[in-house]
Amino acid sequence: MTLCPCGSGRNLEDCCGAVIAGAPAATPEALMRSRYTAFVLGKLDHIDRSNAPEIRDDFNRAEAERSVQECEWQGLEVMQATEDGDIGTVEFMARFNRGGQTFVQHELASFCRRDGAWLYLSGKISPGPPQRRFTKTGRNDPCPCGSGRKYKKCCGA
Amino acid sequence: MERRFHCTACGKCCSGLLPLTLADAFAHAGRFPLAMVWTPLRQQSKAFDLVRRIGAVVNLSGRKRIAVIIVPTAYIPDSFFCPALNADGRCAIHAEKPLRCRTMPFYPYREERDQADLLTPRKGWDCDTSAVAPVVYRERKIVAREDFDLERRELLAQAPLIRAYAEYMMKYMPQLADKLATAAVHGSGGNVVTSLSSYLTATRQLDIPGFAARQLSVLKNFAARTAGRPDLAEFHRNYAGWAKEMEYLAKRKSASA
Repeated sequence: MTLCPCGSGRNLEDCCGAVIAGAPAATPEALMRSRYTAFVLGKLDHIDRSNAPEIRDDFNRAEAERSVQECEWQGLEVMQATEDGDIGTVEFMARFNRGGQTFVQHELASFCRRDGAWLYLSGKISPGPPQRRFTKTGRNDPCPCGSGRKYKKCCGA
Repeated sequence: MERRFHCTACGKCCSGLLPLTLADAFAHAGRFPLAMVWTPLRQQSKAFDLVRRIGAVVNLSGRKRIAVIIVPTAYIPDSFFCPALNADGRCAIHAEKPLRCRTMPFYPYREERDQADLLTPRKGWDCDTSAVAPVVYRERKIVAREDFDLERRELLAQAPLIRAYAEYMMKYMPQLADKLATAAVHGSGGNVVTSLSSYLTATRQLDIPGFAARQLSVLKNFAARTAGRPDLAEFHRNYAGWAKEMEYLAKRKSASA
């Protein structure tokens, strides 16, 4: 009985182990977790297989094999997961130690479903918070509060 | 304006990082430990226009863009001499030496009209710049220009591959942009080093017979030579790490098999 490295609290063989062994991932999150576990366990064939065909040749397997030897994975936190038809996203943070330093990989990963199987398509590292300001008020522009004064003399003071 | 120069074969310049053309890097993979070295250039730099033609322009955060040269390099510490330098200080591979060595003291990564500094020997070098040395540079033009032109042509010809590599790395290693921005701020010569394996993946050249095995052997050798040298810790870490990557590539079955 081994705890799954993805942190689900479940048995490895019932959790990511099953997906790595060939069971289809039910959701983008399940696939993402299984890819994390694959890195932890050095099962890089699973990474290769679950890459969308258009990015398959971009995978630097040699470097990944080296990382398996050099990285000590310390945990996964899934922050958000969305699914909309055949596309989905998972935002996560993965912690690892390498060469005595701790790193955090914060990624917003995109997935697509092809022929019923979820595949990894792309990832945006360190995605920023969602944009909240749509326009920036210039300092000499009329203040948005409606006072008629310049922003720099009013709310922007 | 006339500058005189004659190489005395003192061997002093045959040390440290050696920029190579792609062709030379692959030809000498059994001799030099290879890395891709990225050097960003400031906008005001004289070489900026040239770098846009032989290098790449990359986007940093905040819509800032910088020009960067990306050079396959013999990744050798300054304190180490070239592995092809004989005990008597002469080149062991003179007939097939890399273009970079043949073009010395000139440097096609800079404009032809901007070569004057390179004709002043560095401290400790024994280059002959006396009145008996031949004129090699006149009115900002190189007198015997064949080697310079050849190396420059090679750099221009390989630029599309370099740009393809830059695009791949910007996509898959976004933290590289931050490293380049830091190197750019720190002034001339700041650079970032990446692996040959990333170049081979980006340009789909994973199955060059024997390349990985030869590189593996060289990297292991240089890792051994830098073991227990705290001043060369970064070199050692890179040699050892890239050796693991080449070990994988040397073992894998050819994709076309």
